[in-house]
Amino acid sequence: MEKKEQKRHQHKHSGPKAQKKNRKKEQVTEPEQDERKRNPRAFSVQSAVRMAKTFHRAQDIKTKKHHIPLVDRTPLEPPPVVVVVMGPPKVGKSTLIRCLIKNYTRQKLSDICGPVTIVSGKKRRLTFIECNNDINSMIDLAKVADLVLMLIDASFGFEMETFEFLNICQVHGFPRVMGVLTHLDTFKNNKTLSKTKKRLKHRFWTEVYQGAKLFYLSGMVYGEYQTQEVKNLGRFISVMKFRPLVWRTSHPYVVADRMEDLTDPEAIRLNPKCDRTVSLYGYLRGTFLKNKCQVHIPGVGDFSVADVSFLPDPCPLPEVIKKRALNVKERLLYAPMAGVGGLVYDKDAVYIDMPSGHEEVRPTTELVQSLIGTQATLDAKMAASKVSLFTGTAALTPEENPMESREWDERAQRERRRAVFADEDEDDDGEQESDEEEDEEEEDEEDEDEEGVTTLKKHDKKAAETAAPPVKKQKFEEMSMEMPAFADSDDELEKIEGEETEEDESEEEEEEGDEEKEEMEKGEPAKRSSGPDSGLCSEEDDEDEEDDSDMDEDGDGTMGYETPLLNMLNVFCVCVYIEGALRWKEDLAQKATKAYLRHQLAAPNLRKLVYGTVTGDEEEDSNDEEELGGLFKVSRPEKSKKVRADAMDCSRFQPDNSHDWDQEEVRSSIRDCFVTGKWEEDKDAATLLKEDDELYGDFEDMETGQVHKAKTGNKDQAEEEAPQVKLDDDEVQKNKRLEKKRRLKERFDAQYDDGDATYFDDLKEEMQKQAEMNRQEFEDVDDEIRVQYEGFRPGMYVRVEIPALPCEFVTNFDPHYPIILGGLGPSEGNVGYLQMRLKKHRWHNRILKTRDPLILSLGWRRFQTMPLYYIEDHNGRHRLLKYTPEHMHCGATIWGPITPQGTGFLAVQTVGGIKASFRIAATGVVLDLDKSVTIVKKLKLIGYPYKIFKNTCFIQGMFNTVLEVAKFEGASIRTVSGIKGQIKKALRTPLGAFRATFEDRLLMSDIVFLRSWYPASVPQLYNPVTSLLMPVGQKDTWAGMRTLGQLKHDLGIRNKPNQDSLYKPVVRQVRHFNPLHVPKELQKALPFKNKPKQMQAKGKTPRDLQRPAVVREPHEKKVAALLDALSSVYAYKNKKARAEQHAKHKEFLQQKEKQDAERQKRLKEERKKTYRAMGQKEKKKLKSSLKGASKNN
Amino acid sequence: VASLCFRQRLVLSTLSRKREKILNIRSKDDNPGLRDFEASFVRLLDKVTNGTRIEINQTGTVLFYQPGLLYGGSVEHECNVQRSIGYYLEALLMLAPFGKTLLRAVLKGVTNDPTDPSVDLLKVTAIPLMKKFGIDGAGLEIKVLKRGMTPAGGGEVLFTCPVRRSMKPVQLTEPGKIKRIRGTAISLQMANRIVDSARSILNKFIPDIYIYTDHMKGASSGKSAGFGLTLVAETVNGTFLGAEVMSTPQGQGDPVLPEDFGRNCAKLLLEEVYRVSITKHTFVSGVDRYVIEFLRHIRDFFQIMFKIEQQKPGEDEQKGGEKVLMTCVGAGYSNISKTIK
Repeated sequence: MEKKEQKRHQHKHSGPKAQKKNRKKEQVTEPEQDERKRNPRAFSVQSAVRMAKTFHRAQDIKTKKHHIPLVDRTPLEPPPVVVVVMGPPKVGKSTLIRCLIKNYTRQKLSDICGPVTIVSGKKRRLTFIECNNDINSMIDLAKVADLVLMLIDASFGFEMETFEFLNICQVHGFPRVMGVLTHLDTFKNNKTLSKTKKRLKHRFWTEVYQGAKLFYLSGMVYGEYQTQEVKNLGRFISVMKFRPLVWRTSHPYVVADRMEDLTDPEAIRLNPKCDRTVSLYGYLRGTFLKNKCQVHIPGVGDFSVADVSFLPDPCPLPEVIKKRALNVKERLLYAPMAGVGGLVYDKDAVYIDMPSGHEEVRPTTELVQSLIGTQATLDAKMAASKVSLFTGTAALTPEENPMESREWDERAQRERRRAVFADEDEDDDGEQESDEEEDEEEEDEEDEDEEGVTTLKKHDKKAAETAAPPVKKQKFEEMSMEMPAFADSDDELEKIEGEETEEDESEEEEEEGDEEKEEMEKGEPAKRSSGPDSGLCSEEDDEDEEDDSDMDEDGDGTMGYETPLLNMLNVFCVCVYIEGALRWKEDLAQKATKAYLRHQLAAPNLRKLVYGTVTGDEEEDSNDEEELGGLFKVSRPEKSKKVRADAMDCSRFQPDNSHDWDQEEVRSSIRDCFVTGKWEEDKDAATLLKEDDELYGDFEDMETGQVHKAKTGNKDQAEEEAPQVKLDDDEVQKNKRLEKKRRLKERFDAQYDDGDATYFDDLKEEMQKQAEMNRQEFEDVDDEIRVQYEGFRPGMYVRVEIPALPCEFVTNFDPHYPIILGGLGPSEGNVGYLQMRLKKHRWHNRILKTRDPLILSLGWRRFQTMPLYYIEDHNGRHRLLKYTPEHMHCGATIWGPITPQGTGFLAVQTVGGIKASFRIAATGVVLDLDKSVTIVKKLKLIGYPYKIFKNTCFIQGMFNTVLEVAKFEGASIRTVSGIKGQIKKALRTPLGAFRATFEDRLLMSDIVFLRSWYPASVPQLYNPVTSLLMPVGQKDTWAGMRTLGQLKHDLGIRNKPNQDSLYKPVVRQVRHFNPLHVPKELQKALPFKNKPKQMQAKGKTPRDLQRPAVVREPHEKKVAALLDALSSVYAYKNKKARAEQHAKHKEFLQQKEKQDAERQKRLKEERKKTYRAMGQKEKKKLKSSLKGASKNN
Repeated sequence: VASLCFRQRLVLSTLSRKREKILNIRSKDDNPGLRDFEASFVRLLDKVTNGTRIEINQTGTVLFYQPGLLYGGSVEHECNVQRSIGYYLEALLMLAPFGKTLLRAVLKGVTNDPTDPSVDLLKVTAIPLMKKFGIDGAGLEIKVLKRGMTPAGGGEVLFTCPVRRSMKPVQLTEPGKIKRIRGTAISLQMANRIVDSARSILNKFIPDIYIYTDHMKGASSGKSAGFGLTLVAETVNGTFLGAEVMSTPQGQGDPVLPEDFGRNCAKLLLEEVYRVSITKHTFVSGVDRYVIEFLRHIRDFFQIMFKIEQQKPGEDEQKGGEKVLMTCVGAGYSNISKTIK
């Protein structure tokens, strides 16, 4: 949208209001201006570091706002804006679309079915598409949406679909997203309403961006939203601006709003499952679409386009832009899938939608029924029948030409008209006339639009009658069909220029014309005879053919040879012939004129010369063969062809040495190509100087006081003096002036505005210039031709014909599902390995497993593939991972469609059904494309030592043959305990054993392993999701390959675990250690301390050595008891006394401490006193000594 | 026209990644099938790509080519001596910027011969042109390590080229005026004579002429003898026009005086100046057979058609022959081999 300057209201210049304002302004502005002056310290640099920091921050913020500038490729008449209305079911999508359509066009649409295009304003059209609750549709629509209206049921809150859709959008380039809250009337409490609004708004902001627009639709009135709110929403939509997205600006795409099945009904009757030819209609968006390119239809597959043509816009913008709003006639609505706009136009037909006419009228008779039921025609049956003339001979079958029949199919599938030609092909030459009449009758039935073409065909046939074989005829047809535009325009061009030259070349012309006539009469042989005399023969021939068609279009096939076009061609050829014959030395002037004329002629032919004849060569090949006795073919190398075909493959131009550079005239013809030659007026040094004078002319020499005046009138005078300069063409003058002004401004800008110009600005300007140039280059060319140069431009309403679509596409067609034609780049139709960076989505609740099938949405496509996950080691090795990391990026390699690097993708595990959890499993970006994979998997080979020497040992079990060992000689190996070693050499027996050395001695119980890397192979599964081919109502149930886990779950298979992996009770054997044995000699030498003590267990003490027990007398017992009592009393007394003593001592210590502290204090004071006195004394001494010294001095 | 466009078709096929089947390669010839130099060319393509599939039938008259991904890297190739290195280098110049990694190709064979544009000519004309397309930087270089003349060869050329994601659109609508002429004379003894004679002609147009002599001695001078002259004219707009003449191999053709030789070359340059076309998006000088084929192939592979306009020379301008202005809308081609990190 162009930004228009609004007219501002007029300020009052006088009166009390103006005075008041002025006074206010004076008061306010003056101190503001003086802020810096009044308080300079506040603005002075306090800290250099801080200043640098603030500066950096300001710059950061500034550069953060920059985006990489993109070349603006929006066409002058942009395609309608795609508005996708998205939301969970029952949230009010259809109602909103209906309301918006009613708001814009005042029409009521009952059923929103397929895209609805409307004219919303003077410069804007909108296409509304409703997105149903299927992840397939969500993905497809996110790729084409310019604006997404995201409906949210406020009474419920956010649903998973909303977040899923936002994430899909994020991956495929973020379109504009506007949230719309509905069901707000369910809130009874105003406070909860506002709280909910706020909560939802902030959550929405975190997903989209801070401050994203969230619209509130407060309530329903008679089943519709409130008019004012819808109107406001409509206003928001019509002023919205869009940023171009990278993928979309580099790929053309069409959101089909209409579909027609062009398959021959007969073919369908014979085989209801035959491939269909379908034409799809829609506005072209994105970038230029070239004819015959490849497209991808998400949900169906890749197809090559048979034909693209543009149709008049069914929903055009108002032609004259007036100031007022649109009137009712201009508020158009176009929704063929919804059955609106009952009249639809095709390339060659007009369709009228008859609501009740869909029922088939069935004949009642049984005979007719059976006839309808037959699968093959009578002809075909005849052809299939066999007759044997004699018994025992092989049955004769009518000759069939599969090529032809195939072609017939192709033609017939599309148009009836084409089928006519096929019939003709089958016929023999003798029967032509009668057939032709029939054909003509048939053609008469065709549409009136085609009349030109049919007449053309008639003429073609007449021409062909003479000699040309049937193949040729078809070519004619194709020619005339393909390039009517060229033929037309060329004709005109040449007519103009032909008239000038006809006279000069009349002689040659006549000769050549005669030749041509002969050629035409003789047909093929004549053509061949004329072949060798020029290198351009093939072009010539072909152009003849084209000429025929051209003439026929003009309407007179009989006097075709006299048409200027042919003359021109002849002249062109003749000139070439003459060139060789003439010598340059004869006279130059004549030659110069001739050359000039030749160039004049060559101009329009150049394009034809380059692009006019493409099929010529092959055609000749087929015709030239001569049959000998019907069996052998004479292969005769032809001179002319050989010359052409075997010409040197060399880019160097072989100049004809026609210019003699020794001659002065010739030399002077390039004089101006050198700097020493004459310059153009606007670049001439003298004029430039003069301009400089005008610019900086007036100045006063300050020292001398001299005033230098510019010679402004100089130029005008000069012009007056020179009358040969045409004064009348003001245009030239004006342009000159403008040019001068521009240059002055440029110079001024370069001098004074250079400070602001950054790299970014320069880049932006460059892009803008390029965009301007792109726009201007083909502006004035006719659409028909322009389309051939730059392809179909976005904004056009195109009809795309696609052959060989699966029949399910037509039979299971559901207009609620979007049909998108995504154009593919030159190499994007191929399949290869893709390396991508991938991260499991943080909301997806399980990690992903390597080699589990995953459905990816990448580019236009949705497909199932088996990714291998890997991580890059520090040395650049890509190590295979079994599972994706939980919260980290990892690499993934897939076998899939070649897509440019930097394209985002998302992955889902299934597209069928809705699970409770978050469906988007992973997101990422394509990093690299390749034809081979570099992922490796760690492989440990294990072996066991069977013989151990010092550091060498023999190892077996790692390899099976000597050859295998030989391959790994020198490889480093390791034991589990960490002893490193190296493989040395294979042993003869046992097979696969080898000698290895280690850094230490091995034990027999050691396990040796070799760590190696084994390349992993990526499974070549590329399975496009064909959800559009599913039956109506089951389109969201597409299920591709199942994962191993799903398969096991479905089939009820459980893995048998490895017996070794199971947990068993731990049984530990008691270890038995042998006693330490010290040799006797050593024992002797050891000190006593370390000698093993030969302690024998003590035996039983003999009875005689055992002491007897003491048995006390009663008296003794008493004494002992008394003694015990006394001693315990004594002990108690002692204890008590000690405790007392302890307490006393503690007290004493405290006392003492106190006294000590006091003493210390006192001492310190005293010391201080003495020191002070000493210091003073010292000072006095110093002073006195200084005094004494000074006195002494 | 199988053999005329052999190289174009393979190069365009590699760039567009469309498979290509070339039929009837000299099928009617007494010596049918691929020539040695073509086979060598196919082998070179195989070296700079990854995953290319090439099938040739037994007689060599049918070639099936399924291009892989352009890879680049270090490549060493023994070029067939039937054609000079220029034949191979021209193709590499088109392919190299779209590889995965920087290409560093060492081509061995004939550096100069009378039929193909020599390495020196490509060095002075093609490199500045590539710079205009945005392929610049330190890596872009053609360097003659050893010289090799026609029949035996023995030359060595180093070609390095950085990779780019995409190219800049260019407008080469103004050839500009020629400001200086430079050149290289390849010869041991007769260099001065060649140079003088060439100067004698060119001096009438412009005084700023300098022609270097290129002495390659010993092993670096190649296996056979020969001499030649390459001239290049630089315009104020940075366009380069080149011309060259090479001696025929010993024992073939008429002996030529070095003076004539120099003069011929100078005249060729003038011829070039006369013809030089104004082209917008490709470098094509004049519209000859080869160029026409090339344009058709571009149309077939990329669906790009050029708008061809004839420019009428001004009344009193003396700028040689008529010019052709060619315009096209690019295919949006970008390098899909290059890795992003």
